[in-house]
Amino acid sequence: MGLVESGKLPKPLTSLLNTSRKYSLWIFQWGLACCAIEMGAALGSPRYDVMRLGVIPLPASPRQADLMCVSGTVTDKMVPAIRRLYDQMPDPKYVISMGSCANCGGPYWDSYSVTKGVDQVIPVDVYVPGCPPRPEALLEGIVLLQERIGKEDMAERWRGDPIVVT
Amino acid sequence: MSSPEVDEAAAPAVDEARQTIIEEFSAELGDAVVGSHVRPGDDVWIRVTRQSWREAGFVLRDKAGCRAFEFLSVIDWLPSPFGKNEDSPTDGPPNVSTEIKTGYAGGDTRFQVFARAHSLTRKLGVTLKVDLDEDDLSLTTWLPVYAGVNWHEREAHEMFGVTFEGHPHLVKLYLPGDFEGYPLRKTFPLLARHVKPWPGLVDVEPMPEEAAPEGEAPADADADADADADANAEPST
Repeated sequence: MGLVESGKLPKPLTSLLNTSRKYSLWIFQWGLACCAIEMGAALGSPRYDVMRLGVIPLPASPRQADLMCVSGTVTDKMVPAIRRLYDQMPDPKYVISMGSCANCGGPYWDSYSVTKGVDQVIPVDVYVPGCPPRPEALLEGIVLLQERIGKEDMAERWRGDPIVVT
Repeated sequence: MSSPEVDEAAAPAVDEARQTIIEEFSAELGDAVVGSHVRPGDDVWIRVTRQSWREAGFVLRDKAGCRAFEFLSVIDWLPSPFGKNEDSPTDGPPNVSTEIKTGYAGGDTRFQVFARAHSLTRKLGVTLKVDLDEDDLSLTTWLPVYAGVNWHEREAHEMFGVTFEGHPHLVKLYLPGDFEGYPLRKTFPLLARHVKPWPGLVDVEPMPEEAAPEGEAPADADADADADADANAEPST
């Protein structure tokens, strides 16, 4: 990928690579609470069938994953594990925060043990609101993320600059 | 030493099976039984002294035949000094009564450890209670009585700060290892509520009965127009 790193990738090639990336997202699942049921419906059931969007639900390890879906209540005790496994994912990597608890703490916002949003420890690309969100909502979040990936300037991403997608 | 009043008119006046349990405890422990309460046809509570806690456990298991241990936990009877923390944080602490009221079988102290076991043959359960001094929250472990009490005592330790003497591994069970404080004590402040009152108190939209004036229902077209206007007024993120 020398062309990418030097920032000289031709536009059509960027577009081709982005299209390839956005339709082969391996999703790393963090089912931490009841949102995991809805995530399971979105990822595993024939009714919603996330694979038609090019998302592959079951990577064997975070080192194979492109996308992490945090669905459920994040507690202070779980945070180090989330951070550690996020760090093990290869770049470029994306995070979907699913449900009120992962977004902001949800109904447990003033608890002694619950983190007020997973975005306090890892950068989140798409927030899916709801308590819990329906599977369709998660699928829409995935589609939004794919739109972002499609418009990404890979050279900027590889240089480590902040990602700005309009 | 106050017990909540219950309507016992519907239940049988005397529950011989549960009274027998109390008599068994009194016969074995004597003065160590400091209080008891029976709700006929329903349940029985027995309060014992701290020194006789483990012995009471053996009586419960062997004499009363309650071999199925259910749970061990702690009650903090102090009313929360913070109230419900649903008011403005700048108003200062709410005026809350700190009078301690205890439940069935009475109590003299703020903290009570209580445990429950069930007899499958007699088909009834017994709840044992014990008072703990606030400046000495320690108790003999029940591990020789019920092996299943292990994690219950660890949880009581991390949530209330009760020390169980003789417990081989009294470390935190649910909380992170470096957690400070005892979160289920009433004096443990939930800091988020001190900074910001509970946002759910504010209704983001009026209740249906408030929106429509009494006796005069708005026309459907108007209601739809209002709903559309509200939807458009909301900032899109």
